[in-house]
Amino acid sequence: MKWISALSALLIVAAGGAVAFIYSGLYDISATDQHLRPTYYAIKKTMERSVERRAKDIEVPPLGAPAQLERGLSLFREHCVQCHGAPGVPPEPFALGLTPLPTPLARSGLDRTPAELFWVVKHGIKMTGMPAWEFRFAEEDLWAVVAFVKQLPLLSPRAYSELPAQLARPEAVLPSGEPDARRGKDALRQYGCIGCHEIPGEVGPEARLGPTLKGVASRTVLGGVLPNSFDNMVLWLRAPQAFTPHSAMPMLGVTERDARDMAAYLATLK
Amino acid sequence: MRLAILALLLLAGCGEKAPPALGGDPENGKLLLRQFACGSCHEIPGVAAARGRVGPPLEGVATRVYLAGVLPNTPENMASFIRAPHKADPKTAMPDMGVTAAHARDMVAYLYTLK
Repeated sequence: MKWISALSALLIVAAGGAVAFIYSGLYDISATDQHLRPTYYAIKKTMERSVERRAKDIEVPPLGAPAQLERGLSLFREHCVQCHGAPGVPPEPFALGLTPLPTPLARSGLDRTPAELFWVVKHGIKMTGMPAWEFRFAEEDLWAVVAFVKQLPLLSPRAYSELPAQLARPEAVLPSGEPDARRGKDALRQYGCIGCHEIPGEVGPEARLGPTLKGVASRTVLGGVLPNSFDNMVLWLRAPQAFTPHSAMPMLGVTERDARDMAAYLATLK
Repeated sequence: MRLAILALLLLAGCGEKAPPALGGDPENGKLLLRQFACGSCHEIPGVAAARGRVGPPLEGVATRVYLAGVLPNTPENMASFIRAPHKADPKTAMPDMGVTAAHARDMVAYLYTLK
């Protein structure tokens, strides 16, 4: 029995120490301070294992058709180079200030499987600068990026520089279907709604720019101007400023499908 | 001992009340919010029967950044929005209730206690 009390005493001291450390402010949260080597590798391993586990069952479509690579290149130029750089091309200055520093993708193209790359591009990585592209790209565009990144290690800086500079601007093709409340919950996070609104069950910056969405389903009026209905919620989510010209709620470029999914979820918040 | 004193000081700090917004009377404001039936559209903590679900709940309204999505949340803006909502948002569902400046001041004094 003695060891049980000794163990619980130890646990209490450890928990107390952890709380004291948090409140002391001793931890340096700055991006200019690098992680300790063991911390860095522990986090890196955690991330790699997490990705491997989740990517295990993803089915990889055929990759590498010229049209797909061309599309991948367009998307890569528009959305990836800024942080990751490219062969012979540096990241934008702001990205050099990120901690952790984004990995040059020629490395990832060599080391990671297509399924792993796909998973990371689609879902992003918490507590890094890597965003989730699920709500920005269609499935086939995610694969186009993966296909291009797999080719990247084979491109010399010179070959990269000689790739056609002007390609058609990529246009997102997003499929539509029946509204899916579960997906809508994710979409609310992915469109940054939790940046301004309290949403039950979500953890966010608690910035409270707009009203809480607790009970929004049973509210009669939306944004002070529209009768609350599924269709009006979709309209409001997509273009609030069409109804209130100088609303602080911005036009977020919400697609029809995503807005319908969000509205389906919001309708459950009674 | 020192810790106890520190804790007491902290508690005292918490208890310290900021002067009411716009120098209004929060108690009277609470009464007025009821009298003007604000509660038929808004949920307002502390105001009897204020359970309306037309507009957003006013819980925590003092800490919100914007009012009605269009005005920076200051006591002055809140008072002017209460008095003439359509000036800030022509299409708003919130009606002009004919609130006087003095009444608006008291309402704001109460609403600003809702942190």
